[in-house]
Amino acid sequence: MDIEVKSANSAPKLSGAAIRRSGGERAFDIFNVVGMILLGIVMVYPFYYVLIIAFNSPTDTAAAPLWLFPRKLTLVNFETVLQYPGLSRAFLITTLRCLAAPLYSVSVCFMAAYALSNRQLPWRRFIVFFLLLPTFIGGSMVSTYIVIARLKLINTFWVFVLPGAFAYFTSVVMRASLDNLPAELQESAMLDGANYYRIFFQIMLPLSKSVLAAFFFFAVVSNWLDLNSSLFYITKKNLYTLQYIMHLVLKSNEAASIIDHNSQSMDLLLEDMERMREKPTPLSVRMAITALVTFPILFIYPFFQRYFVKGMLTGAVKA
Amino acid sequence: MNTAVELGGSSKKRKKFRSVQTQYIGELFVLLAPALLSTLVFGYLPMISNYMAFLDYRLTNGFMGLGSPFVGFKNFDFLAQLWFYRIVGRTFLYSICGIAVSYPSALLLALCFNELRSLRFKKIVQTISYVPHFVSWVTVASIVYMFLTVEYEGLFNNLRQALGFAGRISFMQKADYFLPLLVVSSIWKNLGWSTILYMSAMSSIEEQLYEAAMVDGASRLQRALFITLPGLVPIFCIQLIFSMGNLFNSSFDQVFNLQNDVIQADIMTLNLYTYFYGIVNQRFAHAAAVGLFNGIISVILICSTNAVTRRLSDTGIF
Repeated sequence: MDIEVKSANSAPKLSGAAIRRSGGERAFDIFNVVGMILLGIVMVYPFYYVLIIAFNSPTDTAAAPLWLFPRKLTLVNFETVLQYPGLSRAFLITTLRCLAAPLYSVSVCFMAAYALSNRQLPWRRFIVFFLLLPTFIGGSMVSTYIVIARLKLINTFWVFVLPGAFAYFTSVVMRASLDNLPAELQESAMLDGANYYRIFFQIMLPLSKSVLAAFFFFAVVSNWLDLNSSLFYITKKNLYTLQYIMHLVLKSNEAASIIDHNSQSMDLLLEDMERMREKPTPLSVRMAITALVTFPILFIYPFFQRYFVKGMLTGAVKA
Repeated sequence: MNTAVELGGSSKKRKKFRSVQTQYIGELFVLLAPALLSTLVFGYLPMISNYMAFLDYRLTNGFMGLGSPFVGFKNFDFLAQLWFYRIVGRTFLYSICGIAVSYPSALLLALCFNELRSLRFKKIVQTISYVPHFVSWVTVASIVYMFLTVEYEGLFNNLRQALGFAGRISFMQKADYFLPLLVVSSIWKNLGWSTILYMSAMSSIEEQLYEAAMVDGASRLQRALFITLPGLVPIFCIQLIFSMGNLFNSSFDQVFNLQNDVIQADIMTLNLYTYFYGIVNQRFAHAAAVGLFNGIISVILICSTNAVTRRLSDTGIF
């Protein structure tokens, strides 16, 4: 009995584990793993450094270099930043934009994808060509600006939502995922008397949840990170987005004015010597704002990762 | 009786079905309408407005200013001037360096990911490598300035001094450092994300090929070179075609956020120039002429690269 069990267990497996690795291969494996660890550190350390400086006392940061740990933990930088009046408005605008624009854009692309996946659609090839061409021969920066100016979209909220709504490649990937669904679904629904709207909302939409979630997430990320539309089309202060404020803080003296604005109100409120000594520097304020603007996306990203990896795998290979 | 009712019912259904078929097609067009409208207004209208490059453009003349007087190629006089070709050459240099470094390294990294033995470690490293993609160039510029500043917070200068080199360099104020900075920062930001396409292509290579190669005694290196790599070549070619189309477009976000007033004149690229003179200074016709020139070159490049790759490896976009 024992012998039988032993021989069953020692039957050679078909995986590579039974094959002996040569010395060169083992060296490569070690080299690979070390390289990957270094890669991970290089990718992550800058963000960590931002956090260290943001949480460190500003006078302490200016005195000597920081490496791995903050020396004097303090929240003064964040307090300074959060009292800046434009920031809460910008946060509101950016959040609204990251909800409205992805919703609109994903719906437009998905509706077009569904319509184009129907073979009975007349002039289907012409429509596909019509939608494809501007992707390759686009308008340039200036002509798009002219069009948006004449449509009176400058300095309105809709300039965030309307222009980038339809992206051809998004609808191609969605169409590929719709083509994966069996054709009998639609046929049997039509036999039962459903019109195209019902098929779209009650069959196609629920079945495409992962693709939609993936593209919704991409759209949220690209809207959160977008600077160009604010740069080109927005001059009114109450429509500034978070990225634009960060751009101003970085480029101009906005950081100094945040500090001045804050110290005025703080001077009136407290005469604490400890507080006075911890007057924020522009760098600390910049790092605090960077932390505030960057980390929301980094927090929600792991939750969505399984969606978009799967969505891109199926869609991209087909496309 | 049942049959009669059924017959009557089914013929009614059949008639209804036929009229339903033709009637409902309009619904598909309703679903298509937003996409069509959006492409018409924000895709074709700007395309047509490129015509403004040939006009003495005023925003108020006629429909979108297109009623302005026609002046032929007067707006294209930059084509005869040296500074323009300096900008074009610089843009070309930046793009070529970016492509030459980042595309092969993405391929290499994808191959190395594939060779990792522990699945959990692979997933963790991949997740970490995607993180810089989710950050805007404003943030990257903020981090870069912090690392490279001459003052005490500058990590690079601190490292230099810790390693024994004397003096602190003000990196951001010398145009010579800009190209390496562009390349390094673009690798840092895009490397992880650009491996996704390659990973998905790798997952569609058949397992049997690997097993057959193992049976034939191929080493891991040989398997990677002769099975995995050829499977990734089509995607590499398609990406190359698209990047050829963008050869004279530098990444606006990247260059705009990393530049500052001191080095601006020395690192100006084509679309940065279009932004500063077209949108900030509102010299529309001039910038539109530059943009049109840029667009035509891109189309020529895409078509020729597509023809070349089609002949070499039978993949292409059209």
